[in-house]
Amino acid sequence: MGALAHYLESRDIPTTQISLIKEHTQKIQPPRALWVPFALGRPLGLPDDPDFQRQVVLAALTLLEAQEGPILEDFPHDIPKKTDTDQDSLEQLACPVSFAGPVTHETETEKLLDTFRQEMAEFRSWYDIGLEKREYSSVIYFPPEAALQVFTDFLSDKPLTLEENLSSFASALRFAAQDLKAIYFESVMFRPDMVLPDEAVFTRWFWQKTAAGAVLKAVKEKCSASDDKALKMTGKMLLVPMGQA
Amino acid sequence: MARLDTMPEPMRSHLAELPCPVFDTRPWVSGPPLSRRRVAIISTAGLHRRDDRPFEGMSGDFRVIPNTCTAKDLVMTHVSTNFDRTGFQQDWNVVFPLDRLRELAYDSTIGSVAKFHYSFMGAADPAVMETAAEKLAGLLTGDQVDAALLVPV
Repeated sequence: MGALAHYLESRDIPTTQISLIKEHTQKIQPPRALWVPFALGRPLGLPDDPDFQRQVVLAALTLLEAQEGPILEDFPHDIPKKTDTDQDSLEQLACPVSFAGPVTHETETEKLLDTFRQEMAEFRSWYDIGLEKREYSSVIYFPPEAALQVFTDFLSDKPLTLEENLSSFASALRFAAQDLKAIYFESVMFRPDMVLPDEAVFTRWFWQKTAAGAVLKAVKEKCSASDDKALKMTGKMLLVPMGQA
Repeated sequence: MARLDTMPEPMRSHLAELPCPVFDTRPWVSGPPLSRRRVAIISTAGLHRRDDRPFEGMSGDFRVIPNTCTAKDLVMTHVSTNFDRTGFQQDWNVVFPLDRLRELAYDSTIGSVAKFHYSFMGAADPAVMETAAEKLAGLLTGDQVDAALLVPV
């Protein structure tokens, strides 16, 4: 980000920026930067809080009125953390499907996929309700049925079908993984029994408690073991966050 | 928290060890008061219109986001799995504060909102963004932008 500011300012465009990693900004020294103490992925701090977001935007824009630089200022306000009690509801939602059941599974993968199918069936209702209410979704290429299909086929060694405008199966798996996480989060958003979790709680829950998280870890393992370069790289870096594998 | 010292490993070491470019010059361009500035958002969140090309690879190119864009039109295809997307999924302004800019223009805190905004995918090497930045500077100048608000993810 700082390098981009440097390039634009060198071409006569006045810039100001938000900084999320202060140490990077201190090294690059772009003309004007406002460091904010928020999580990666949330440069404006709080969703659905226009007043707070306005303060951040204004603090960054006001740096344009400084007479000289480089400037690196700290935004003075942090975000109040939700209490653990607030977020207990999500922990209780964890993996609603029991592994025990009448179906006889031949392999661990079949068992996992069966659990995933049942879990998706429950989450899908809330995803659909949210979609109808909000009239849009962050899901791009793989709505619930398609996400279920692509991961089931991949883990079952069936041939994948490539969506139009996706360049490779590696890309398809990456986008399907992002869409799957969005389906789960948007399902949680619209459940009446949920307090919306903060990002760390949702991440922990998704990767440690859900069948969907376990499916993505299995896909990661299979991709990483592939001879295909793009699949191998996708498996190693682009499906499961650092520290969650 | 985006504080390196409180981040869990291995993310902390990964970010701490990322190479950062060092520049010999310190460019600085002045301009009119904020109330007369025309502001564009430059994001590195890998954002684009829903029917535009997704971000793939590390080519350092950018996508154009018209000022008429709404939350339902904008999607994110950044390659990294190592940042939170749930904030964006709730409210696009937490990553791309176009509604906030519109409000600031409406109450004359800023002069106006640019006709076009832009997004890169921040995982690309900064060096490969330089060529794209040159093109982008021309586009911003053509739109009479004199304040680029750069927003990382």
